[in-house]
This record gives sequence, C-alpha cells and structure tokens, in this order.
Amino acid sequence: MESNAGTKETRSNLTASDGGEVTAFESLQFTDEIHRLILAPTTDNSSSFTALLELPPPQAVELLHSPDSPKLIAASPPNVEDFQGSFRFPSNSGLIERDARFSLFSGEANNSNEKRNSPESKNVSANPEKNVKSEPAETESSQPLVSDPTVEKRSIKRKDRENKVKGSTKKSKTVANENSEDAEKLPYVHVRARRGQATDSHSLAERARREKINARMKLLQELVPGCNKISGTALVLDEIINHVQSLQRQVEFLSMRLAAVNPRIDFNLDSVFTSESGSLMDSNFPSLVMPAIWPEVQGNGHRQQYQHQWHLDTLQQPVWGREEVCNNYITPENSLLTYDSSANSATLQANHLKMEL
Amino acid sequence: MWTPCGMARMRPHSSLKQEFLKEWIKGLQRCSFPKKSILERKKAIKLSADIAMASARNGTTCWSRALISSAARDGSDNNHLVKQILGPESDRPAMENKAPAREASVCKKILKRSCRIRRRGRRKCGAAAAAPSSIAKHLVKKRRQILRSLIPGGEFMNEICLIEETLDYITSLRVQVDVMRSLATASVRGTE
Repeated sequence: MESNAGTKETRSNLTASDGGEVTAFESLQFTDEIHRLILAPTTDNSSSFTALLELPPPQAVELLHSPDSPKLIAASPPNVEDFQGSFRFPSNSGLIERDARFSLFSGEANNSNEKRNSPESKNVSANPEKNVKSEPAETESSQPLVSDPTVEKRSIKRKDRENKVKGSTKKSKTVANENSEDAEKLPYVHVRARRGQATDSHSLAERARREKINARMKLLQELVPGCNKISGTALVLDEIINHVQSLQRQVEFLSMRLAAVNPRIDFNLDSVFTSESGSLMDSNFPSLVMPAIWPEVQGNGHRQQYQHQWHLDTLQQPVWGREEVCNNYITPENSLLTYDSSANSATLQANHLKMEL
Repeated sequence: MWTPCGMARMRPHSSLKQEFLKEWIKGLQRCSFPKKSILERKKAIKLSADIAMASARNGTTCWSRALISSAARDGSDNNHLVKQILGPESDRPAMENKAPAREASVCKKILKRSCRIRRRGRRKCGAAAAAPSSIAKHLVKKRRQILRSLIPGGEFMNEICLIEETLDYITSLRVQVDVMRSLATASVRGTE
C-alpha cells in the first residue's frame, strides 16, 4: 500500500520535474525536517517533553500525536507545491547554516531516514532514474494525507528520532569536535570523545558501558537507604552489600520465626490473608505481642538510620537479646504442641546463633 | 535489557506482594508439614518463600531463574521439596535448565583460570607503582565479587546486568520481608 502510493506519487513528480529539482527538494525537505525537529521540543512542549518520556508509550504517543499531526498536515502540502518548480537549489541560507551547525543531527537524521526507507527505496528502484534516494522523502511527505494509522506510526518513529536528537543535544554541549564523519562512522554509539580522549571504537564502547553502569549505580543509590550522600563506588557497593545481606538475614530470621510460631501454617492462612490485606497497607503493627517487638525494632533500624556503624556496634549485643526472645516464645509453643523441646531448642539456639552471626 | 528493572520499580509494591503471597501459599500448601523438627520446617518455609519470590517475578529476571535452578540442584531433600513446591508442571524446564547451566559454569571456570594467569603476568609488571586509582579499582572489584556471590546467579552476569539484577533483587527481597513479617505478627496474634 505504501509502496504503491509512493510509486504513483513519484511517477507524477518525475514527469513534472527533472532530477535537479528533486535533489533540491530533497535537501530542502531534510533541512526543513531538521529545523522542525530542533524547534519542536523547544517551542511546543519543552517542559512537557521530559514528562512525556516517563509516561507509558501509548499515552505518550497520543499526547505527541495531538500537537504534531495538524502541524504536519498543514506543513506538508505547501512544501510539495512550493518547492516543485520555483527553487533550483536550497536558497534559504538560515536553514543551511543551521544545518551546518547541527551537522551531527543531520547525520543522525539521515541515517535514520535511510534506515527507515530502505524497503521502500528497494521497491522503487525499478525506476530507471538516477535519484532513487530522493523519492522516499516525497512519499513521506505525502503519507500523512493518505491514511491515519500511518500518521500514528510516523509519530512514533518521530518520537524515537526526537529522543535520539535530544540525547545528542545533551552530549553535544560538552563535545569539542563535532564532525559528521564521526557520526557516520559510528551511528550506534552515542558517546563522543572529548578533547584528548581516545576515539577508537573500543574505548568509545567502553565509555558507553561505563556511563551505563554509572546510571544504574545512581538508581541503586536511590533505592538503598542511606546511600544518597555517599560518594565513591566502593562505599556505595558496601552499603548495597550490607543491605542485601541484612535483607537475606531478615528472611532467614522470619522464616525461623514462622516455623517456630506456627507449626501448621496452612491452617492459619485464611485468617491471615484477611488481616494481611489491611495490615500490608500501613505495615505499622502495634507491637503488642512480646515476640513481635524484635523484628519491628530491627526493621525500623534497617529502614531509617541504616548505617555501617549499626552493624558493627549493635550486632554483637542484640544477638543475645534476640536469642532470649526466641527462647521465650519458642518454648511455650513447643510445650503446647508436644514437640521434643529440650533437644530441639538447644540445637535451635546454636543454629540460630550461627545464623545470626 | 533495561526494561525489567524499570518495570519492577514502576510496578506498585502491593501487587507484587499479593503475587508473592499467592505463590507462597500455593507452595506451602503443596509441601505439607508432617511431624518435623523446627529446623526442617524452617528450611521448608525459607525455600518455599524464596521460590515463591522467584516465581512471582515470572522468571523474567536472571536471579529468579538462577534461584530456582540452584534450589533444584542443591541436595536430595531440597530437590524433593522443590519438586513439591513447584508442582509437577514445572519439573521439566528445571531439568532442561540444568545441563546448559553446568556447561556454562565449566566454560566460565576455564575462562576465569585463563584470565587469572594473564592477570598475574600483568601484575608483575605493574606491581612497583601502585597508583591510588588502581587500589580503588581493586576495592570496587572485590566488592563486586561479594555482590556477585550474594545475588543468585550473579557469577554469570556482566556488570551492567549485575547491577540491574541487584536492583530487582532488592525490591523483591523487601517485598518478601514485608510479607513475611506481617504474616509472622499476624500468626502470633492469631495463636494467642
């Protein structure tokens, strides 16, 4: 469907105009598109664009779609009519300058365009014309008028491209030497070398990898409490390790407690399930019950202050207290439920101690 | 690559909690408790909780798959328990997972050994000048190794993957701890 429309359009165009005009049109199209790409995020939705990135894709597409599509439809038809006969070559000097300045984007836009259009251009290549690559641009401009779903598709693709461009604007502020050759060489790695940095593909890839790792580490810092103010990868990793270990230890401890408290856990589950839904929400249990106090305190300590110190200082002391608590509530249960409590609790103590340490 | 973690963070905690609880209850109901010692019961509870946590993530993450497969590989009694917990339908994939994992581990071992030899040679050259940056690197590497040992399946991950999986693992560990704590307090209250 697309290719058919494209070929019809291009044939009519080709009969009307010769090759030079087509190239002129192509370049103008590109500059115009780049111009639009650059201006769109800043003028239309500069503040909301960052918000758009965080939305789920369908919503974002809708939002992106609504301001874009009228402009697109309004913009594309005059392009075709105006530029067909009148211009020999791109004469708008401002646009050309802009193009030259943002040569990085043009490289990327070209790349993406060519990538996108490769199947279409293959279809059209049956035409014995020298300017084959110019045709897909025209089909593009005529596409939104034809059908709606394609418009949506385009807006998605365009969003992608805008993302790319946006990412590269961030980097290009720091870039010292920006040449389009570099962009053509390495279309996939979006890291560029600063002055004095190595530019071979290995070190570029390595730099990209390191940036990725740093981004993830930042996320991890946000997730782990008490990690925000620490700088230095080793210290952050320390905190993370401590956090994971403490969580694993808590799981051990809680499973022990569950095993000790409730020998037939599946009997209680229904009643627990009802109380669960309420209690899970606020997760603030009034610690009326004696054995319940310890984990609460432990949890609070882990959540709020959570320091390295805590582990070193208080771990030695509370273990004994914890053991006492365990004994307190394990032995009555055992006697009630006729378990062989004497041997069991002895081994339990030893094991529990080992586990906690 | 990056999506699973993002999903985990975006996903509301409560839904993950409910999923975990559902899985856990299923597992606990499957492995009935005959008269066992407390330690055995504890082990069963821990194992079922771990597996429930892993299967609540639907096997989309590396650590959950590694957790299940390692639990299935561990020991004979463990194996039995895992089979009980997982049920008959998930027996086959666990068996399938075994062989490639072992092969991978062998490959990794060989690779590690070769790397170690190479590194030794290098260190001899640069041992004289121990720059502070290299010390820092060494410290970070050490900690990364520890983290690798903590997270299930961490030995076979690259660094980016490791950090992502850590993110996911921490969130689900938190969910597990929350659910277990509330369950413990509720059951204590129920028995009294």
